[in-house]
Amino acid sequence: MTALDYAWAGILAVFQGPELFALFGLPISVTLVMILGGFLLGIAVGATPGMAGPIAMAISLPILISTFGFTPDALLPVMGFLIGIMKGATIGGAVPAILFNTPGTPDAYMTTLDGYPMTQKGEAKKALKVAHFASVTGDTFSDIVLILCAPFLAILVEGYLDLPEKTALLILSLSFIAAAVGGSAAKGLISTGLGLLCVYIGTGQDFYPRLSLGTEALNDGIPLTAAILGVLIIGAVFKELSDTWAADTDRRSAAAMSAQKDQRLRGRDLRRLCPHIARSSLIGTAIGALPGVGSTLAATLGYTIGRARHERRRAADQPAFGDGAIEGVAATEAANSSVSGANLIPVLSLGIPGNTAAIFLILAAESIGGFNPGPSVFRFTTDTVNPELVIAFGLFTCMIVANVLNWTIGGAFMRSMGIMTRIPRQILLPIVLILTLTAIYVQETAMSAVWFTLAFGVLGYAMRVLEISPLPFVIAFILGGRIEQSAREAFSATGGDPFFLFTSPIAAVFMALSIVVIWVAMRRKERR
Amino acid sequence: MNSFGKANLLLGLGVVVLALVLIFVWVPLDTTSGIASQVRRQFVIGDALAPTVAGVFLLVGGAMVLAFERQLSPVQISPGKLGYVLRVCAILAVSFTIMRYAGPLAVWLVNAATDGELVYRQLRGTTPWKQSGYFLGAWFAIAAMISLTDRRVSGRSVLVGALAALGLVVLYDLPFDDLLLPPNGDV
Repeated sequence: MTALDYAWAGILAVFQGPELFALFGLPISVTLVMILGGFLLGIAVGATPGMAGPIAMAISLPILISTFGFTPDALLPVMGFLIGIMKGATIGGAVPAILFNTPGTPDAYMTTLDGYPMTQKGEAKKALKVAHFASVTGDTFSDIVLILCAPFLAILVEGYLDLPEKTALLILSLSFIAAAVGGSAAKGLISTGLGLLCVYIGTGQDFYPRLSLGTEALNDGIPLTAAILGVLIIGAVFKELSDTWAADTDRRSAAAMSAQKDQRLRGRDLRRLCPHIARSSLIGTAIGALPGVGSTLAATLGYTIGRARHERRRAADQPAFGDGAIEGVAATEAANSSVSGANLIPVLSLGIPGNTAAIFLILAAESIGGFNPGPSVFRFTTDTVNPELVIAFGLFTCMIVANVLNWTIGGAFMRSMGIMTRIPRQILLPIVLILTLTAIYVQETAMSAVWFTLAFGVLGYAMRVLEISPLPFVIAFILGGRIEQSAREAFSATGGDPFFLFTSPIAAVFMALSIVVIWVAMRRKERR
Repeated sequence: MNSFGKANLLLGLGVVVLALVLIFVWVPLDTTSGIASQVRRQFVIGDALAPTVAGVFLLVGGAMVLAFERQLSPVQISPGKLGYVLRVCAILAVSFTIMRYAGPLAVWLVNAATDGELVYRQLRGTTPWKQSGYFLGAWFAIAAMISLTDRRVSGRSVLVGALAALGLVVLYDLPFDDLLLPPNGDV
């Protein structure tokens, strides 16, 4: 099969997969319906303060796996749903930021700076339209870069990197994530170390499960879902709940989407927005391609650079950034949305998850089987069919379908989601908490998994309180086993050379960079 | 909210101690092969290496916090919030205990009232037994957490708890025959 054959097979896998129903005689595949369902759910949870895409993914995953089973046919519908959530939540997050000055996520904070003043001026609907247009444009650009870059990067890795280099690359990625996420390299290293420690408990090659303290509970290791969902979701819900309790509940009254002014997005508006969207899309995509570097940095950079340009060129009657400028909303939304597609470059090409959405795609792939994200996926075999490559192109197709939905129905659905912001957090969060714990139980069918999850939830909460990012923990937990396996194979392949990570120039460079990124991050922090 | 200036110092110290205990006590005593071992005349990486590397990450991170971040922007820790999270954990512990024992308890009560010989394990796949523990536990958890956050017990929290628990049962149990609600996988 040629590369084009694989791409076509991926498209067909989405459109001609198992049929759910027929519309005017046209078969509609289950994958398409799942993308739509995930997309609408994603917008709804994104628009709900206190909720976020990862929570919806965590709750959905066990239900999806129960529905579709553990066969390769389940991969595209399940992952399509998760991709739909990812896309929907990205644009949905702008709704509470614009309507209620409530940034649901840190990156949405920059959207409030101009979005909320527009709402106060009676231009809420226009602000939402700008946010949607900028967000979808940035996201689409980012997906195109992903589709073009991920296969080439994977082929480069497979072609030029041997076992020692791959091990060094994994160590470099952990080091980079520790340094880049959360603003403190020291705390990033602690988070990474804790993740590695937890994944090594109860595992290993010896008959005795290491670090299990001789207890039965730790003999089989810590369940992947319990650790990840505990730290990532339960910890976040604990933090949100305690903040809500401390604030004596959020009693903001809903600002109406009043139509006092012209709410239309005209051609001249689009011409003003385009340079900001283009610049922010480039910034967001470049930042998103680096594992672990989040959309907050992209939004901040996009906004700051956009503001500098706007100040130089704006007419006297145009509002400045911070006073309700449509350019401010566009610069932020394009930047933070263009991170999401590019964030999948490291996971698809290197197997290194760069954000929480990628973590859930890996969880889905590991639970279902038949697809291991990483460089080996992009083997363009000509004599036999590589089913993983067909799935990869199927995923790209899912992203394009989600983008088409985003361009067509996303804006209207997003603007109708203002009502979600009226759900009180003190009611929503306890339900989410029980929903997530139930999701873990139905997947693991053991109460011990629930207790593990709660324990990791407390750890996740403590990490947030101490300003330690939980993302390096989760990524280290996922990559820890692979790093050890890769190191074992590299050690054996080099005849037991203890310096196997330093004998090849590429591996040595990766190892040197691992130290340099930590050192540079510390120096920057010291200067600040 | 209190500004707890020593949080970073204590964090750094705690992590360094954990790392040292891990590297010099836990790993050597709780793994059977060393950093490297010889198997059939070949050197292979032992089970102790990876956790030792984890310990090194912790040691370096803890030492860096002590060296560079001890005095930086004190971490904001609110004892009130910590107490709140502990109370939430207690509510969850009680609710999962209710989930675990409410079903068997209901069976025991029915047996006591009717002189029957029902066994929960044999009933855990049938309605209403299989949902009873989960419903009661989830109801309690949601109502209690809403009341705790609202700082008062209200009819609304009890009603929302019941409706939400019912909704969760409908979501997980009705469409899926193969999904087991808590605690039916354990009993």
